Amino acid sequence: MASIAIDSMVAAGPMRVANKRLESLVTARMRALLLMPAFGLVALLALARIASFGLLGAPDTPMSMEQRLLPPRGEITDRNGLPLARNYDAFALWYNPKAMKDGGSPLVRSPEEVAAALAEVFPDIDRKDVAARLASGKAQYLRRRLLPEEANRVFDIGEPALELPAEKDRFYPQGSMAAHVLGYVKDGKGQLGMESVLDKELTDAASRGEPTAIALDLRVQGALEDELRKGMLSVNARGAAGVVLDVDTGEVVALASLPAFDPNDVKATDLVGTAEQKRRDEPSNSYNSVTYQVYELGSTFKPLTVAAAIDAGIVRDLGLRYDAKPVKVAGRTLSDSHSLGDTLNVPEALIHSSNTVTARIADKLGGDALRDTMRDLGLAERPYIELPARGAPIWPGEKWSRITTMTVAYGHGISVTPLHLASAYAAMVNGGIWRPATLTKVEPGTEVKGRRVFKEDTSARMRQLLRMITVYGTGKSANAPGYRVGGKTGSAEKPSKGGYREKLLVSTFAAAFPMDDPRYVVVAMLDEPKGTTASSFQRTAAWNAAPIVGKLIPRIGPLLDVRPDLSRDIDISDLRPLIRSDIE
Amino acid sequence: MVRGSRLRQIGWAISIGVVFAGFMLLTFRVNAVKSEVVRAERLIVDMEREKLALETEFETRANQQQLADWNAIEFGYAPPRADQFLESERQLASFSAPRAPGSPEPIRFAREMEASDYPALVSPLSSHEEDVAENGDEAESETAQPQSDAHLALARLD
Repeated sequence: MASIAIDSMVAAGPMRVANKRLESLVTARMRALLLMPAFGLVALLALARIASFGLLGAPDTPMSMEQRLLPPRGEITDRNGLPLARNYDAFALWYNPKAMKDGGSPLVRSPEEVAAALAEVFPDIDRKDVAARLASGKAQYLRRRLLPEEANRVFDIGEPALELPAEKDRFYPQGSMAAHVLGYVKDGKGQLGMESVLDKELTDAASRGEPTAIALDLRVQGALEDELRKGMLSVNARGAAGVVLDVDTGEVVALASLPAFDPNDVKATDLVGTAEQKRRDEPSNSYNSVTYQVYELGSTFKPLTVAAAIDAGIVRDLGLRYDAKPVKVAGRTLSDSHSLGDTLNVPEALIHSSNTVTARIADKLGGDALRDTMRDLGLAERPYIELPARGAPIWPGEKWSRITTMTVAYGHGISVTPLHLASAYAAMVNGGIWRPATLTKVEPGTEVKGRRVFKEDTSARMRQLLRMITVYGTGKSANAPGYRVGGKTGSAEKPSKGGYREKLLVSTFAAAFPMDDPRYVVVAMLDEPKGTTASSFQRTAAWNAAPIVGKLIPRIGPLLDVRPDLSRDIDISDLRPLIRSDIE
Repeated sequence: MVRGSRLRQIGWAISIGVVFAGFMLLTFRVNAVKSEVVRAERLIVDMEREKLALETEFETRANQQQLADWNAIEFGYAPPRADQFLESERQLASFSAPRAPGSPEPIRFAREMEASDYPALVSPLSSHEEDVAENGDEAESETAQPQSDAHLALARLD
């Protein structure tokens, strides 16, 4: 356009030139006039953008929905997806005396009136104590973990000094249930149980959005704790422990140690023990008696010894009678708690829990073979489980003397945790494969291969023998009708300085069900049960630990898909004639 | 020439203006929708949190220990016994035992009416029952005995 204008200017005369100059001047001014608002507009836009930055902040700060819904710590659920530990935005009741900012009294009304109003919302508070705390003028928590409705009611009191900050909190809806398995969280770090084991996973942004399922079944855990607690209180025991283990996968379906603590409110005394516990030399409530504390578990070891002997071919004829008179060895005499005649065969020895016969069988088997079996059953090392609290067993070394072999045969001179025993029983009944216990949920078909400890037919034989103990022997009160329970009692005297204490026992019942196709092992243990009316003034496992299992199995069986059936049982007809009817 | 170019300039300006206005309108609209989405998301987050809180409260109030204590005091429910389970239809059928001698007649509530429940039809021609009765069951099958139809028709008219 400009070149055309210049051409025409050159073609015209000087008169036109002046006109043209004026015209182009006007054009230039017009253009400048047009450009200026354009620049102004750009400047304005930039200003507006700056203002919007200033007012609304950087554009990428608002979090996405996923980020906002991502919990600060992942949820832990049981095997069926029911929550065991989750995050919970709870309100706290914080007293802030400076809230009024006028330098006058921190409260509108008198501290007594406010305390009375708070007592209406929380009937359990100490009114005088709260009034004193309000009057003190110190900023402090009055209460934590308020429910939303309680928070609303506190808000309605209308005191600006009563603040309700929302706090991120770890919450365990089941209270003290499975406390030893779950552990707790302190200052954002998992402590004790799975909270500590899974700490990395639970805090990792990539994985914490999805709940982590562990092997526990909440309903079974509830039933186990309930029955253990009842059993423990009825015989005034110091503590109790119980575990339910899947025999084929090693999954721990329930694990309970009593007394327990509440992970929602962990007190210092839960960790170090109360003054009373210290005085009596008892462990604190956070002590895991299933995986950490080791005990001499007594007669529950007898089936393991017999299984080792059958497996090694030492016991071939179950009808063969053994001398049942007291054994004198290394200057000590091993005897039975009550005499059952001069001779007993293997089924009778197990049914009546004979120390002497078991010791003689072990003697025949030899220390090395018994030691190797016990080691294969994992009894020489800490139990296999994810929990950090794993107790080292008291293992009698590598060279077993004759007396050691004979006492280990009936569960003395070796101390293991109840979990060790459960894993060993699982191997004994499941066909002979030992697998490590685990709290991680095992998908079907992905269970670990394990190691073979017993032959398949040894395991089948042991199933028969264990079933006979509950049908005819010391385990009768565990024989829940229809569930084909098999198991062995164990009542061991507690060792102390200078020998064993006859009055202080550890009563255990180790069982498996259903015996015709074992699915679960149940171990219940009571620490120092007393003879009470509930146990007919008896302290032994037949009167306190076995009934716990007898009551527990009908509760958990249907939950674990084991149907009771009175028309079905393991075939023990070949062994039945071996038991004398007079001692049955 | 100049006028043409001015017109063109104005045309350009207008079209740019229109496009710009459209662009602005669209931007505003997009931002409005965006903020609505953000608001909806915020609502969802709030709802999710409320749901979590309610669910947690419910689970806490109905925790295993609480339920067991309640059951012990109020209800006393016991686990089902072995004889309360049925394995198969065969087991269910095993409950039906033959009637013992001297036991009362089974009570019947309803049954289908049978032909014998009705009063016998009497032929108005022969005044005999059997003429009708022998064909009563086969009244529908006309091919069997056509002559009986007449009797039946008369009987119905009666």
